[in-house]
Amino acid sequence: MTLTRRQTLLGAAAALLPVAARAAPEYRLDPRQVADGVWLFEGAQDSIARGNGGAICNVAMLETPQGAIVVETGGTLRHGTALRAFADQRLGGVVAALNTHHHPDHWFGNGAFADRPIHALPGCIAAQKAGAQALSDGLYRILGSWMQGTAPLPATAAVEGGDLTLGGRGLTLLALSGHTPADLALIDRRSGILIAGDLLFLDRAPSFPDADVAVWRAALSTLGALPVTGTIPGHGPFHRDSRAVAQTLAYLDAFAARMDAAANLGLSPIEALAAGPMPAFAALAANPAEYRRATVQQWRAHEISALPVIGGSV
Amino acid sequence: MTAILSHKLPGGGAGLAAFGGGLTPPDLDRGMWDLHRADLLGAPDAWRGDPGLRLLAPANAEDARHVPILADATGLGPVDRMVVTIDYSPFPLALVFHPGRALPLLGFGVKYEIAGPIRASARTGAEWIMGGAFIDAMGGGCSAPAATHARPDWQDGFGEMRARLWPDTGRLRVGIRHPMDTGLADGIPAHHLTDLTLTDAQGGEIARLEIHEPLEENPVLTFLLPRDLAQGPVGITARDTSGFRFSGKVAP
Repeated sequence: MTLTRRQTLLGAAAALLPVAARAAPEYRLDPRQVADGVWLFEGAQDSIARGNGGAICNVAMLETPQGAIVVETGGTLRHGTALRAFADQRLGGVVAALNTHHHPDHWFGNGAFADRPIHALPGCIAAQKAGAQALSDGLYRILGSWMQGTAPLPATAAVEGGDLTLGGRGLTLLALSGHTPADLALIDRRSGILIAGDLLFLDRAPSFPDADVAVWRAALSTLGALPVTGTIPGHGPFHRDSRAVAQTLAYLDAFAARMDAAANLGLSPIEALAAGPMPAFAALAANPAEYRRATVQQWRAHEISALPVIGGSV
Repeated sequence: MTAILSHKLPGGGAGLAAFGGGLTPPDLDRGMWDLHRADLLGAPDAWRGDPGLRLLAPANAEDARHVPILADATGLGPVDRMVVTIDYSPFPLALVFHPGRALPLLGFGVKYEIAGPIRASARTGAEWIMGGAFIDAMGGGCSAPAATHARPDWQDGFGEMRARLWPDTGRLRVGIRHPMDTGLADGIPAHHLTDLTLTDAQGGEIARLEIHEPLEENPVLTFLLPRDLAQGPVGITARDTSGFRFSGKVAP
């Protein structure tokens, strides 16, 4: 079992120490090799919380003769530092890092890779710059001391879709959107593995804060058509079949249908929120929390089509 | 008995129960409650909680500019007034609802400036019943500029009224496009709705709502009408601090 992926090392001992001593949590990494030279650090499946230190997204490392290609840098500087230490000690250093999109659990560890190029789509870099302060405020509030030293560092090297070779290892980059306005997915050409970022979730409820569901659906059909040997979703386990594509698509459709149904039945948004997730998806990790967040984020778009214009300024 | 409709969605009845059903936690008799009860409710010494008053609110304000709330006092006796207050808001008085011939249920969204309790207090006879919930929030909702001011012309679509009536459940939902400026955002003067009235086919008043700064931008309100009035048509009129008037008529 690989359930306790990252947790504070202090554990029970912390209860005996003064409160100040709690302010030194550490990340315990649990990397495993899922294919030739492809390492996966699987994230905790919950929402960002003190119990997981924000280490919730999947991080991948691809070995090259010049060091690792690091895809996602973790949710805090300390998380990034722990990942960097693994790469330095076991994989001969780091050749470059990539951020798939601008949500903070994927790039707030960039500071630990500041001496290497950090690649991302231009739209992602713009969103990182625009949102850094607000995202950081929010994470400090949730994570407290896990965030110690974290100053968000946006990616430094803009990339487009197409082929990119780093340290001699060939990547095919796909510039997509839907989960956010700029979602990077990539295929490692040596292993044939797809690293999908948060376009794909598996056994974990998708998050929607910047989602455009129609565009996301189109990205899923692009990903579903790729000939890949395995998939690392943004959140959830590595797998060899296409079930993350199917499950993410089914979730998007079911969520949109639930919002439309609620708006057309005359429910207020809080009644739709309180109803909880679609029964088929209620048991997914991070639900009902993600469903509740998504209801607030997506409600307006569904409500407006259910309410006809009947008057105005006179 | 409540008029909450979560159960209309598959699994929604169980979901609502898991959510807490809108029952008020026992430790909500603190914060600004003593002061607001005196200042904003007309100094009632006597008050109590009652499971007949449900208040649905999220535990966290995912978006501090739009925090969805539903107050349902249909489980109480006749209610002639419902007052919504927010403990630590720069504008603690949010709404005063005079249900009149409507039922005492009100859905709305508020802006949240800082974490704290929100309360709906219903007057039934000489008695005040309070229901509430604590909402955690990053805050800033009252002092941020309305989203519409990021557009080239905030008056595009200003005042547009949307509504729909559901005769089977008695639900009425009404939306007005309005910036609901509180006056706290730099360089943007206060400009918000002040009142909204529902009228029947003969023009007689059904219900009236006094509106203050915390109501969300582009507010959408939820009302509950008795079966006869829910057959419509229902007239809706509203005014704001700049003297604009808005009106519309909705039928099933």
